[in-house]
Amino acid sequence: MGQTQNVVITGTGALCAAGRNPAAIWDVVKAGVSALSDIRQWDTAGWPRRVAGEIPDFDAVSLLKDRKIQKFIRRSDVFGLYAAEQAIAESGLTAYRDTLEEAVATHFNDRTGVYVGSGGGSYQSQYDYFPLLSAAQGDLQTFGRELGDTVNPMWLLRTLPNNVLCHVGIRHGLKGSNACITNHSVSGMLAIIEAAQALRYEDAERVVAVGHDAPVEPQAVLYFHQLGLLAQDTIRSFDRNRDGSLFGEGAAALMLETPASASMRNAPVLGEVLGSGYASDGEGLLAISDDGAGLSDAMNMALEDAQLQASEVGVIVAHANGTRQSDASEAAAIARVFGAESPPVTGFKWVFGHLIAASGIIETVQALCGLRERRFPGIATLRELDPALAGLRVSAAAFTPRSDVALVISRGFGGTNAVVLIRAASGG
Amino acid sequence: MASKRRVAVTGLGLVTPAGNSADQAWNTLMAGRSCVAPITRFDASGFPVRIAAEVKGFNEAAPIAERKQLKFANRSHRFALAAAEEAMRDAGIRPSPETRRRWGCAVGTGMMGMEFADLLRLHRHSAAGGELDVRRLLEDEVALDPMVFCRSQTPAGVSLLLRHFGIGGYATSVHTACASGGQAVGTAMKLIRRGTADYVLAGGFDSMITPIGLAGFCLLSALSPDNETPQRASRPFDATRNGFVLGEGAGFLVLEEWSAARARGARIYAELAGDGNSLSSYRITDSHPSGDGPIQSMQQALADAGASPADVTYVNAHGTSTQMNDRSEAAALRAVFDAQAKGIAVSSTKSVMGHLIAAAGAVEAVICALAIRHSTLPVNANLSELDPECELNIVRGEPRGRRINIAISNSLGFGGSNSCLALRNPEEVDGRPGGRA
Repeated sequence: MGQTQNVVITGTGALCAAGRNPAAIWDVVKAGVSALSDIRQWDTAGWPRRVAGEIPDFDAVSLLKDRKIQKFIRRSDVFGLYAAEQAIAESGLTAYRDTLEEAVATHFNDRTGVYVGSGGGSYQSQYDYFPLLSAAQGDLQTFGRELGDTVNPMWLLRTLPNNVLCHVGIRHGLKGSNACITNHSVSGMLAIIEAAQALRYEDAERVVAVGHDAPVEPQAVLYFHQLGLLAQDTIRSFDRNRDGSLFGEGAAALMLETPASASMRNAPVLGEVLGSGYASDGEGLLAISDDGAGLSDAMNMALEDAQLQASEVGVIVAHANGTRQSDASEAAAIARVFGAESPPVTGFKWVFGHLIAASGIIETVQALCGLRERRFPGIATLRELDPALAGLRVSAAAFTPRSDVALVISRGFGGTNAVVLIRAASGG
Repeated sequence: MASKRRVAVTGLGLVTPAGNSADQAWNTLMAGRSCVAPITRFDASGFPVRIAAEVKGFNEAAPIAERKQLKFANRSHRFALAAAEEAMRDAGIRPSPETRRRWGCAVGTGMMGMEFADLLRLHRHSAAGGELDVRRLLEDEVALDPMVFCRSQTPAGVSLLLRHFGIGGYATSVHTACASGGQAVGTAMKLIRRGTADYVLAGGFDSMITPIGLAGFCLLSALSPDNETPQRASRPFDATRNGFVLGEGAGFLVLEEWSAARARGARIYAELAGDGNSLSSYRITDSHPSGDGPIQSMQQALADAGASPADVTYVNAHGTSTQMNDRSEAAALRAVFDAQAKGIAVSSTKSVMGHLIAAAGAVEAVICALAIRHSTLPVNANLSELDPECELNIVRGEPRGRRINIAISNSLGFGGSNSCLALRNPEEVDGRPGGRA
């Protein structure tokens, strides 16, 4: 991959059922406590599945300390903006920028980008048309005529998948290269990958990478249940009795910079993004190849990109979503790449659920927490490793990573496999 | 920078209101004939806006031969499959088991949502009172039909494309509103430049000519209300312009690493030479009157292409035909091209085919490639009285025969994402024409 300029991490942010910042979430992960609980957004009495990782006591206004913006954004956007805010604040980015002379600050803003992985929308946003549909009684002419009296004029803007990108830019005056990726579960991971590439290839000097999602909604729960993807009450990744995944909601963010940018402003360096890999099974929206061939290729590409040997990886943070098929193919892929030399494997979805578009990025943020402490918890809900996955180095017990490098896996619909390698800063 | 891998455009495909192939659409553009007409896809008679540029004569039942996959596809996905198939055939190359990991796919995707018919059924069963009754949802056939789910998911389109063509490398689906298509093509270019892929299928697709899509834009008063004169409704840069016209469709390009494309004797329409990408960070719907935002994306695209403003022959403008966009974009063009602004020809092909939203940037990149190939600049239809605030050298009346050195295409989205793509005449790269007629 030609260029190998490192990309440094100077800020992190996260929000999910388990807490409102990376450290608080990490405490819950370490304690071995799952933050999944009964869904509160609607009455689930009689529902076949009723557990998810919702944000407790969600209050959009207090999270963002901004009432006006609520008119233009939705639940998922609130999460994304909140996490981005944390990462930017921790990195000291805007505080530094505000000390610069105007012309220098303008250039600084033009060279600061925003890359967002977004859930892409919700079924509920379309429900805003229900009152109008009822008033029109199915008559389209009436629907068209009464439109302006019934529906919020800002409806389309509130529904845009790229709201977090837009508002992170507006709130902080950032104007550099950008993307809004709506590619299901790998969206957040792709935000990291594309942001890191933008830095490596000098499209930008600093980039905020964000992933956000709010998948816990009635229609989505029913679809995932129909497809056999949801667990009864617990995510038991790699367990003999695992029965599926569970939704979580929230967001995470990383402030990424070129080393030159970080050192210029004496920013705290928490770690590095070393490389990435990506491959698609390409067998359809819902299909996963049983042998995990796409995933093992993605892992090998990431190792090559980072110029690392498999033996230098200290820990694998698996996608570990708890479905029969994904966990099995993931274990097969890990075995193919690492063989008997596999580092210990863990995963985090059992704690806060599957954050879909935010899953890869929140798990990367949490992996950094573990690397910095040189200690990772196991999967607390794992009681008995599936004998079909024998050899996978995963358990419920905590462990010390064998190096300061983590390989983080994110997978999604369409048979997509994304892999990122990160390292904790020394002395961190 | 000298070692940059170059990117060749070797295949094109279009499904647009102006025609359901690249050739047909080009001919309509040459005729400068507006495709805007009263909406026929649903009863729009009660809406404040009742006109759009619809795709006509498209065979929704069989955009591709493999019919089994089509139950996963909504209308915009079918446009995508047809346009991508045309682009692949045009390029004369396809992924093989040996090359599939070196093939990427980057698409601009429309907004997620159920089809209107499904929303109506769901409403009737589970929300007849105007609010969702979650208990009724448990027995709602729409909520129990996984196919509704599959068609409504944002990665549905990219998944279909990966499967249909057997693509196994980097795949992404992006959405930055009206800039989506341009950003997808720019992302695709970078994948090849940076060695992530050797070939990329890149494009955009959208279809918002639905009651909900039309409603969303009507509520924002963004559309031209000229229901009585649909053919004149989209008139970018005209002093009397009053909003954009909704279009639908898909545009796809096959991109390849330049030397490999030359080695296999591929027809090369253009070099995809530069990508610029910025955020306006001004207001959600408003563009900065100074052109701040698009100025940076155009400057970046030119710098990325190693070109100067004087090298640009043609600008395919975003030119939506709203008061604000066209004025701001004109200001940006004047700022970037300064003294040269008068010599550079500008047109907005939205004057003919309307605004294809998430597909627009990709479709217009295809048009730039065709313009380079044909040494002809498409006309900005419907311009009778140039807005003095949009003082530019606009291609009016008839298309202009002119050899293009560099063409650029702007796409500016709600939310402030700006994309600019720069395409270069293949002769300017290695002194050789594009090949194969």
